[in-house]
Amino acid sequence: MAEPLVVAEGFGYRYPEAGRASLYDIALRIEPGTFTVLAGVSGSGKSTLLRAFSGLVPHFHGGQATGELSVGGLDVRDHGPGELAGVCGTVFQDPETQVVMGGVRAELELPLEHRGEPAGSVARAVEETALALGVAHLLDRRTDTLSGGELQRVAIAAAMVHEPPLLVLDEPTSQLDPVAGDELVWQLRRLNEDWGTAVVVAEHRLERCLPAADRVIAMVDGRIACDAAPGEFLDWAAAQSPPALATPAARLFSLAGLRPLPASVKEGHATLRASRSTPGEPARSDGVVLMHDIGAQRRHGSPERPRKLRALLRRNGRDTQAALGLKEVWHEVEDGPTILRGISLRLEPGERVALMGRNGAGKSTMLRIAKGLAEPTRGKVERAGEVALLLQNPGDYLVHGHAVEDAGVAGVAAAGLAGREDANPRDLSGGERQRLALEVVLGGGDPAVVLLDEPTRGMDRIHKDALAARVRQLAEGGAAVMVATHDTEFAASLANRIVLLGQGVVIADGPPEEVLGGGRHFSTEVARVTNGAALLPEEGADMLREGGAALGAPDPGAGERSVARGDEQPAEVRP
Amino acid sequence: MSLVPVYRSRPSALHAARAGAGAALCGALALTGALYLHPLILSAALGAIVLAGVLAGVGREIGRSLRFALPFAVLIAVINPLVYPEGDTLLFRGGEVLGREIDITLEATAAGVFNGLRVIVIVTAFGLLSAAVDPDELLRMFRRVSYRSALTATLATRLVPVLARDATRMSDAARCRPHPPGRLAVARAALAGSLDRAVDVAAALEVRGYSLGGRTRRRARPWSRHDWRLAVAAALLTVVSVAGAVVGVGSVEPYPSLQVETGGIEVVFSALVLLVPLTPFAGRAARLGVALRG
Repeated sequence: MAEPLVVAEGFGYRYPEAGRASLYDIALRIEPGTFTVLAGVSGSGKSTLLRAFSGLVPHFHGGQATGELSVGGLDVRDHGPGELAGVCGTVFQDPETQVVMGGVRAELELPLEHRGEPAGSVARAVEETALALGVAHLLDRRTDTLSGGELQRVAIAAAMVHEPPLLVLDEPTSQLDPVAGDELVWQLRRLNEDWGTAVVVAEHRLERCLPAADRVIAMVDGRIACDAAPGEFLDWAAAQSPPALATPAARLFSLAGLRPLPASVKEGHATLRASRSTPGEPARSDGVVLMHDIGAQRRHGSPERPRKLRALLRRNGRDTQAALGLKEVWHEVEDGPTILRGISLRLEPGERVALMGRNGAGKSTMLRIAKGLAEPTRGKVERAGEVALLLQNPGDYLVHGHAVEDAGVAGVAAAGLAGREDANPRDLSGGERQRLALEVVLGGGDPAVVLLDEPTRGMDRIHKDALAARVRQLAEGGAAVMVATHDTEFAASLANRIVLLGQGVVIADGPPEEVLGGGRHFSTEVARVTNGAALLPEEGADMLREGGAALGAPDPGAGERSVARGDEQPAEVRP
Repeated sequence: MSLVPVYRSRPSALHAARAGAGAALCGALALTGALYLHPLILSAALGAIVLAGVLAGVGREIGRSLRFALPFAVLIAVINPLVYPEGDTLLFRGGEVLGREIDITLEATAAGVFNGLRVIVIVTAFGLLSAAVDPDELLRMFRRVSYRSALTATLATRLVPVLARDATRMSDAARCRPHPPGRLAVARAALAGSLDRAVDVAAALEVRGYSLGGRTRRRARPWSRHDWRLAVAAALLTVVSVAGAVVGVGSVEPYPSLQVETGGIEVVFSALVLLVPLTPFAGRAARLGVALRG
């Protein structure tokens, strides 16, 4: 058997001037050619562990390391990042600052030049790596013209150009839209399968990576809490309280008492099919068919709820003043594209709207116009009162040395940070900064409209739930809330209306179950598993239980499986 | 939009040539501006820069360079007659200000205008360089001389637009606050943000093996037709400019009375200054193999 690439025994690390250690007693082995996902909530030590693999910890950051850690046979205490780069390629979260050269070709050449490779080898390695990783068409591009996804792929190519046997990535998809994120994971999978590169990736959106993973290492408070195959990890995650690391489909099945917990949508379908068959009888796909029927009914055949909602909106539209109204709004860039094409939209007080669409669809521009940061080139914007806008980077709002100076005592408390008034905002986690920045833009007032642009990027589930709770509170207080997001789970859990933009026009506008339940891309994992019958795990689990009861299935918690009878009707959709 | 042009790959002879040749041509144009004060020659050089920019597809960028240089040129044109009372032809007697006679003379005014024109030529020549010569390739040439300095310059080139975007974002964020913070607080935060960026870049360089200190000798690249044409044009313009300056072509003596040589030699010389830099863009050959593949 090949030597492990990474061997850690009792490894621990404390950052300089930190009150406590970030890593404790890490013991693990990573074999060549494996795909490992590193899971954990913010601050659990994932990034620190990856930085230890690349030698940045302790050589770049300083601090104190204990125990043993070797990567590719090199002890990280004796070998710095430069030497470890030969065996460990590293990709960070932010694509902007890890691409250091102005051109893509120069970026790929740089690591080889640092290694003193002959010019011929450099040229060949750049060509081959670019072709293998699908960035050949970018070689002559300037790096400042690349999208986030392209930059991240270039960063991976630069990390892999000298063919290290190990690639570590720290939340590489957190700054990307879902399409670019999925493409990146496919690329990693290809690297792992075709090149035999061992991949270790830290990621919050586990459902994206688990289908490719051989193994999941879960970190809790700087320690390894679980080190298992994806299926076992999901069992472990589902048993935690709260189940912060469980994927939506795993939570759905866990709540419904179905096993095994699925690491992918395909496995979810298989489990549903199996749940409807018993030994001695032919397996049927009634589980999937049932869900498909329910989903279709919800989308097309039983539009009672959407119709009621639309009627309510129309009535409200006549009777009340809109919190925000956009009338035939166009935004055309000088010497550039048309971003918005005659958008008309009306937000009622207390409404929670998720604004979705691919990158470049016009979401951010629409929010900026709604706030008044940009002017429409045609059309009109009506605001019932103050409009609060939280832009994508919360750090931009936190300009003082102490949280209380930015948000005030009440704001700090509203952000859930009471007692940490004197904390430097830069020391807060991403989720905490986001909530604090939201209080900064609210300014203690009661704005008529609250707009948030991609607030959940790089955020773990616990912080997302906390943000969603605060946003709901604002809506209950009468503010119309609109959140531009790629995060379908967040949108489904928060919004009572989804507006989908495409090419600068509204291509769908309706309740979440109608828009997200019927989508191929704009759809939750639970919706894909249940064919659109449910969007969220809790809702889907109720449906599975009700469906099971209606079909004569025993209590799924007992672990029994029953036959679905063909003459039985699909379960009713919960109102 | 930045007044300093940013390089973008375009299908032109100037972009297709190696950076050294492109830089040499831009340098020769700037040298011409530095060597001469003659308005006809300076106008020819400016015309060559603008036309080369248009032919290279960066006319808009050259226009921005002109807008950038114009205030400096106007400043020089205005200040020179105010502070330099030499010259025989008095245009305006302004009396005494702070114990100093303000006499505006034709000679000082003309000298100010010529010097302003010179500034415009030099700035737009560098604008052409910035817009049409690959900075990575250019800085790579210097990496052979001073690796760390050239890499630092490369990083600066890369990070300036990133930091500019950061600053724009922070400014937008400040506009979104009900109580905008003071400028000092924003400036401090921007500085802290740029330091964070610098730390991230340093970490990225470390994991790309910067500390190994290896250096690769560049593989010789065959000279293309565009490399040759630009290099020859640059060399010719340099020789013509230096030789002309040595023999006194285009002599301008502002003081005590304005003397501007305007013979046939100046006209021919100006025509050369205008046309030589444009030769690499002439003919069908200038359009061969200029587009990027893919």
